[in-house]
Amino acid sequence: MPLSVSLSIEGDTTVIELDGELDAKTAPDFHQTIEKAAGHGTSTVEIRMAGVGYMASAGLRSLVFAQQKVGEHVTIKVVGAIEPVARTIRTAGLDRSIVLSDD
Amino acid sequence: MSAELEVPATLGALGDIAALVRRLAGSAGLGKGASYRIRLAVDELATNIVMHGYRGGDGRITVRGRSGPGRVRIRIEDHAPAFDPVQGRLPPEPHTAPERRRIGGLGIHLALTSVDEFDYVRRDGRNISTLTVMAEGTDPCPPLP
Repeated sequence: MPLSVSLSIEGDTTVIELDGELDAKTAPDFHQTIEKAAGHGTSTVEIRMAGVGYMASAGLRSLVFAQQKVGEHVTIKVVGAIEPVARTIRTAGLDRSIVLSDD
Repeated sequence: MSAELEVPATLGALGDIAALVRRLAGSAGLGKGASYRIRLAVDELATNIVMHGYRGGDGRITVRGRSGPGRVRIRIEDHAPAFDPVQGRLPPEPHTAPERRRIGGLGIHLALTSVDEFDYVRRDGRNISTLTVMAEGTDPCPPLP
């Protein structure tokens, strides 16, 4: 299943919206968008994942990549992840540095 | 239900493997949680074979599956160099700075923590991993049909 990625700015937040499945094949599309988002210089990057039905460890790599790209002063939020996706993020310990939010 | 699939070891073939896993999970009557777990486990191991086993080079992956009521068992075979996933497992490193984390072994960790039973053997030049996932609430020792 393909992954669709969209990028927008809402005030001081850059929003990346993902729909589909995030795995080793589709993660590169997400990486390209992360590079663009990092160039915006907003204080928050919000990754909306309500439409992500499946995430493999490649998605974890993408989140680590996002942290590296945007730098320490930017907050990364993952919003709306379904429970199995959120569990994968917690299993990797990334919930200590990425804000996991329902809304 | 019984099913078998042989595919080239490419990222593009992972979708075919996922489709087979979905059919087996449906046939066994697994719920959403267990279906997700077996999908994740097989996907992580197959991805590992593609990326690290054959290192992106030529190779084949064979997937054989059987489903019974509330239970799916899947065997994954490849001819890549010997690799025991249990040895390759890498637990999370929550206290390590994000840029220093080794995410590679996490895929294997996710696979092994997603299944109810796991077995690995090296036989005749092949890596053979066998994964079993049961529906939530299933008796751990149901007989296979």
